[in-house]
Amino acid sequence: MLENNFTNPTISIEQLPTILTLDTQSLSEQYAPLNRLINLGFILFVCVLGMVLYFQPFVGLPEGLLNSLPFFIWIASVLGFLFTWLSYARDLVKSYSLRALDLHYTSGLFFRKVVSQPITRIQHIELKRGPIERKVGLATLQVFSAGGEMHTFQIPGLPVETAQQLRQYILQHKDVIEHG
Amino acid sequence: MDKRPSSSTTDSSNSAQTSETIDDWQVLSPIAILYFTASIFKHLFGNLIYLIPALAFSYKSIIEHPFIWLPLILVAFSLLTLFAFVSFKVYRYRLTTDNIEIRSGIFSKKYLNLPFSRVQNVKIEQPIYYRLTGHACLQLDTAGSAKNEAKLVAIKLDFAQQLKKRIQSQVQNNTEDINQDPPPTNSKEQLGHSQDSSSTIETMLNTRKLSDLVIHGITSNRVWILLGGLAPFYDNIFDTVGDWLTTLEIDLTKLFSLQTHSLLEVVLYALSLTMLVMFVLVGFSVIGAIINFYGYTLSKLDDKYIRRSGLFTKHEVSMGLSRLQMIIQKQDWLDVLLQRINLQFEQSNSFGKNHNLSATSSKIIVPSIKPHECQALIDDAYPNNALEALVCNNGFESISKRFILRNILFIFMPLWLITIIPAVMDGKFMISTFICALFLCLCGLVVIRWKRWGVARDQNFVYLRKGLIGIDYYCFPTYKLQQTQFKQNLLMKKRQLATVKFVLASGSHKVPMITEKLAYQLINEGLYKVESVHKSWM
Repeated sequence: MLENNFTNPTISIEQLPTILTLDTQSLSEQYAPLNRLINLGFILFVCVLGMVLYFQPFVGLPEGLLNSLPFFIWIASVLGFLFTWLSYARDLVKSYSLRALDLHYTSGLFFRKVVSQPITRIQHIELKRGPIERKVGLATLQVFSAGGEMHTFQIPGLPVETAQQLRQYILQHKDVIEHG
Repeated sequence: MDKRPSSSTTDSSNSAQTSETIDDWQVLSPIAILYFTASIFKHLFGNLIYLIPALAFSYKSIIEHPFIWLPLILVAFSLLTLFAFVSFKVYRYRLTTDNIEIRSGIFSKKYLNLPFSRVQNVKIEQPIYYRLTGHACLQLDTAGSAKNEAKLVAIKLDFAQQLKKRIQSQVQNNTEDINQDPPPTNSKEQLGHSQDSSSTIETMLNTRKLSDLVIHGITSNRVWILLGGLAPFYDNIFDTVGDWLTTLEIDLTKLFSLQTHSLLEVVLYALSLTMLVMFVLVGFSVIGAIINFYGYTLSKLDDKYIRRSGLFTKHEVSMGLSRLQMIIQKQDWLDVLLQRINLQFEQSNSFGKNHNLSATSSKIIVPSIKPHECQALIDDAYPNNALEALVCNNGFESISKRFILRNILFIFMPLWLITIIPAVMDGKFMISTFICALFLCLCGLVVIRWKRWGVARDQNFVYLRKGLIGIDYYCFPTYKLQQTQFKQNLLMKKRQLATVKFVLASGSHKVPMITEKLAYQLINEGLYKVESVHKSWM
């Protein structure tokens, strides 16, 4: 396994590039409001559905369900609003950063998480765009390594151009070309 | 059929001619019908297992009407044979110098074309019914999904061996092409052959005796899996056993009732009964180990590890050293007592989706070896690893004591409170003392768990230690990392602690609650290693 041009100089730990001082970039400005809108829409839908069920004259509901339905609607709306607010705050702190040799994605409000993906270990890349994302011009970048499906590196809410640029950068990266 | 062995003998002498002689569609040997029957049967049986309760329920009425089920079974059998025969008839394969094509399938036709250079893993499998005729299955795994594997179902064993050698030399050449200056392309084939002729000496690294397998059967708790699988039938089983015991004039309720016997007697009865059950279960486990690992040999050819084992179906798994992702040294509490170690050579998960430790999985497990043998094997695979020194000098950095606090305070304490409060309110003191004892036991386990956790690193490797009562050591070269994750919640941030997750192709491993500084160091060094050492993970 030894090659002739192989060198292995010792490097002190302080000299290593550190993920502590990442130059992070935030996601598209549309991403968090869009998610908030989707969440609110969903809660509204659930509540309206509940109310329609409550007020409709066609099917007779059991007495117990009829009495408890308003409570359920209230609980759903309160929890929903809390969840929306929380996930909005969470969306705001999501960020990514690209270094010459690796990609990082930071997320989490109370549970901070930094995922680091060396570009040389990338197997393939996918740009995922749902109908809503297509409408607004956003994209999700998915990066697959041999670590398995559970550990797909994923950056949501990127502007399409940025996502495409990122993909292009990774695809043309010499590490991927040599080891892909 | 008889053409093939002759063509394979010319194979080594003249490769150009080979491509011509093999270059047409080949039929399998008729013995393959047996294989297809077996595989269809296996497939059906997987579904039939759900029918068993229904069958057991209406067992009597079925027995009474043989004129219904006898023809049914006959029809099913003839259909099965027909299917197997047609599968055999439509199965064709073709070999050229550097790829393999397989056509198969009755209703949904499948056409598979696989270049040898893409093959990750070659497995030879010999079911018991192939043993007489000397046939074998050759399975070729690719790095893609597990469904995309090619399987040559019935070919002569020696031909399979030759083919394996040829494919592996091709793969080797291919990786050399990437790593070094490309050799002239037309000499590639000859180069491959000269290489494998020079390195045909296999060195035996380890064999397992029957006694070792018995130990392995006893120590590996595969019994619990069986118990889990039987869970739906517990009621029936207990009833049956109870009935059977009554016919033997042993009455369980009488045996265990405190009115007729003293407490000591009852306890003794219960103890001996559990011992008996355990004996039977351990017996099953031992039989399982022997079936899986009978005639176990681990040998090394060039830089490839080859494992052969199996009582009924002989498996042969080979793994290149470069494919090795991680070494795991596992010791359960019984292993600690018996001074045995289970060593696992892990490779990429995508090759074998099955995570069980049976003989079919593509990881190489060396069952129940002695510590010095284990160390020799580890040193053989990773020559300059420091695992032994680390273990001796306890060079692992332990994790924060807050791990104990967190687990007890946030997981076990609430559970304890939830269960203890109603028990105390009801005045059930027996139950509440039992709950308290359980809680204390769990706390003790958490402390032990904390004590086991540890992480260490050196120039080239990362070492992990974890376990509960037994101790497991994990060792992987840093450059095999696929991804790293740094996790920290607000409480941990306050205490400057963090959790690190290493993602490798063989799976992910977490080190919880280490100091923030160490976490950053581990990740930074890991990333640096991956990106600076231009070595492929495969």
